[in-house]
Amino acid sequence: MRARGRRKTSYAADIAVIHSGRQWLTLAVFIGLLVVLPLVLNATHNLNWVTFLNFTLIIIIAVLGLNVTTGMTGQVSLGHSAFIMLGGYGLAMLTLKADWPFWAALAVSTLVTGLIALIVAIPAIRLKGFYVAVVTLAFFYIAQYVIRNLDITGGTFGLIGIPSPSIAGMSIKGDVRWYYLLLALTILCVLVSVNITRSRLGRSFLAVRDNDVATAALGVNVPLTKLRAFFVGSLFAALAGGLWASYVSVVRLDQFTIWDSIWYLGMIVIGGAGSTAGAIMGVIFLRLISQILHVIGTSDLIPLSSTVTIYSTQIIYGLVIILFITLKPMGMISIWQKFKINYKRWPFGV
Amino acid sequence: MDAATILLQLVLSGILVGGVYGLIGMGFVVTYRSANVFNLAYGQFVMFGAFIAWSFIGSPQEPRLPLPIALFLTLIAVILFGLAVEYLLFRRMIGRPMHATFILTLGIMALLHGAAMLIWGPGVHVLVETVPRGAIHLGSIVLSQEYVWSFFLAVIIALALALMFQRTRLGLAMRAAYDNQVAARCLGVSARMNAQITWAIAAVIATLGGILMGTVHGISTTLGELVMIVLAVVLIGGLDSLIGCVLGGLILAIGMNLSSYYLGPHLPGVEGIFSMALILIVLLVRPSGLMGTRPIERV
Amino acid sequence: MIDSNEVTGANILKGEDIHLSFDGVKALDGLDFSVKAGRIVSVIGPNGAGKTCLINCITGYYRPQQGRITFNRQDILHQRPHQIARLGISRTFQDPTTYPSMTALDILMAGRYIHTRATILDAMLFFGRSRREELESRQIVEEIIQFTQIEELRKVPVAAMSFGQRKQVEIARALVMQPTLIILDEPMSGLDEVMKEIITDLILNMFDRGMTIVLIEHDAQVVMEISHSIIVLDNGRRLTEGTPREISLDKRVAEAYLGL
Repeated sequence: MRARGRRKTSYAADIAVIHSGRQWLTLAVFIGLLVVLPLVLNATHNLNWVTFLNFTLIIIIAVLGLNVTTGMTGQVSLGHSAFIMLGGYGLAMLTLKADWPFWAALAVSTLVTGLIALIVAIPAIRLKGFYVAVVTLAFFYIAQYVIRNLDITGGTFGLIGIPSPSIAGMSIKGDVRWYYLLLALTILCVLVSVNITRSRLGRSFLAVRDNDVATAALGVNVPLTKLRAFFVGSLFAALAGGLWASYVSVVRLDQFTIWDSIWYLGMIVIGGAGSTAGAIMGVIFLRLISQILHVIGTSDLIPLSSTVTIYSTQIIYGLVIILFITLKPMGMISIWQKFKINYKRWPFGV
Repeated sequence: MDAATILLQLVLSGILVGGVYGLIGMGFVVTYRSANVFNLAYGQFVMFGAFIAWSFIGSPQEPRLPLPIALFLTLIAVILFGLAVEYLLFRRMIGRPMHATFILTLGIMALLHGAAMLIWGPGVHVLVETVPRGAIHLGSIVLSQEYVWSFFLAVIIALALALMFQRTRLGLAMRAAYDNQVAARCLGVSARMNAQITWAIAAVIATLGGILMGTVHGISTTLGELVMIVLAVVLIGGLDSLIGCVLGGLILAIGMNLSSYYLGPHLPGVEGIFSMALILIVLLVRPSGLMGTRPIERV
Repeated sequence: MIDSNEVTGANILKGEDIHLSFDGVKALDGLDFSVKAGRIVSVIGPNGAGKTCLINCITGYYRPQQGRITFNRQDILHQRPHQIARLGISRTFQDPTTYPSMTALDILMAGRYIHTRATILDAMLFFGRSRREELESRQIVEEIIQFTQIEELRKVPVAAMSFGQRKQVEIARALVMQPTLIILDEPMSGLDEVMKEIITDLILNMFDRGMTIVLIEHDAQVVMEISHSIIVLDNGRRLTEGTPREISLDKRVAEAYLGL
């Protein structure tokens, strides 16, 4: 047997995220690799890969939020794209129209989006299942309509020239600096997400997902719990939206489509609903697919027009979602766990 | 035109369009009722069906097969499509949580949309004249003939469906499946055949609706967005009611006409989100819709 | 672990004239009942007599059209299920497949919900109140795990458990809530003799700890063995009430069951 399994001698050890020195080491090496990654890509003039990494990090933050609302609590939201959009527009309006400093604007737009999510969730939580999806879908279109028809949001043209943040006097400009900022924030968000899963709040979410009727008998106020799930989920979304807006310095309506909402749901399902690691895997998996198609399409080998690339990506995304739901409903995380168990038991395992 | 005539014109043309919406909505209700699937890919079913029909029928410049043969082939093709969807996908989802099935339909939606974009492209495809075109004048009210025709065809098809559900053994079995899917499955073969027939019927209704819509507006991938209309129609009417579906279609279409005419000048494009607003209102005020039944929760 | 009731013998739970109907169908028709603190009270009756309806009324799942239910002299008829749970009434469900994807440990920790206070912010930060409460809860959860003998099930998801194991976890879940009154809805239905024995012992141990227990059960033998008093329901009414001996001699009970 390779690993003998660790005996945990206290409950504190059992709820710790990291159990052993070896795990700390693995984590340190992994983060070290992530830190060095853009330098390597930079040196090889693969700068568009750093852009790819940055967007991936932003989407990981957003999807961690959807993982709370949909993955943990089972409230299928098609409005996630709209919450991201609100975060982005909130930041843009506060920095451009009101001259707020970046971080204050980010914090306030995130919180305000959270409050809007509460309002959206009120009709949704009274109802079950796909009614929630329908309400959030309607909200998505209504939010888009409002933004398109207001002057302060720049209508269809959007808002441009959104400032970058600065930390300790250093302005975050350029892909590599942004990468480090986003990496740090993503790690923070992952930690928050893991904390939620190992707390009272996370367990009330899981209980509501598995059986909301029985959960009331636990003393859990079910509608309130669903509201909390929407609130927390939209905080992540709005944070990601603000960062997105600042990173590309533009917000426009066509950055936030209903298809994106669908892809985010797909990422959660593919990764394994309710699991933080699963959500991250799901994001990386789908993002890699689109990046690979993009690279193939723009190469000389098999040149594809951009529309062909877009719609092939759509087909493959759809296919991957269908295959995971029908064949691997617990997602990539279940494959990984199975592998881990077999690896530990080797050569005695199945 | 005076105000009363304008109102009448808006209501009448709303009724004509609403009938077609109602018919299309029925395909959604059928799968919801007997297969317990909330099919968000349904708009893509309509679009795909219309394109398949177009492939057999052809455009005015380039007609392909005579209409009856083309329609026959189309129906066979979409029935096979419906059966395949049931056999390959939804059969595996029985007993799984509702949200899983729901997200599955999102995957199907993406797949079909992408495929249609690659095969047929984003342009509008005009269908061979299947029904007479041109304007009908009723006093000072003007209605287009293709709307009138598609309305009456929709009514006939809808009546046939309603009869099938009310009067035949098959319809009865399908309604039983709505009450309890797992129990229906325990009855064995008949439940399985039910599901197959359900999906085939849904695909056929979607296609017929798609052809009627395509006759009026031409066929393009934007037909897939019809799912938003369908959602409004079925939620207004009540998710499990065929009659409610027709009612929902009429209310929605008339409402869209009126809001577009009276509110449009102040709020550009308001008819686009009119359906969304209506959905929210219905869900807040009467979640079971006008004609729907709300099952009692059992603990 | 359990609040011992000084006033053993006083009515802890009392219902008067409860009427409940669905679309005109009468489920409970003027039912009166009372449960004395620190006793094991069984509710029996033929199928459809209204046993589960009664539980659902007590725990706030159904709202009777008419009547009064008090717990510790406090009106609970107009409270919602989660509020009633907080007052110290916990219940089990007949179908124990309540949380398929959660492990026994998850479920039991979730059962500590009413005894913890961590806010959303605490949960996000974890260190501080959330962590402290987790460790305290875990202590109590482990105690119940030992008490109910489900040590091997800690990290097993419910979906992977046997029916009997699920029933055990369901009871443990109700126990970690540290209720004064526990309502067990058919805890033995569908179990083999060995499991029945285990659950019976568990109920008696709960009684020894001073808990008031309302038991709904079909297994007449178990009911006769362990109850202090038995309430017999028929057609949504209380047919009779008494000690197991009185009930076994009552002709009307036999009639209701056999339909004579």
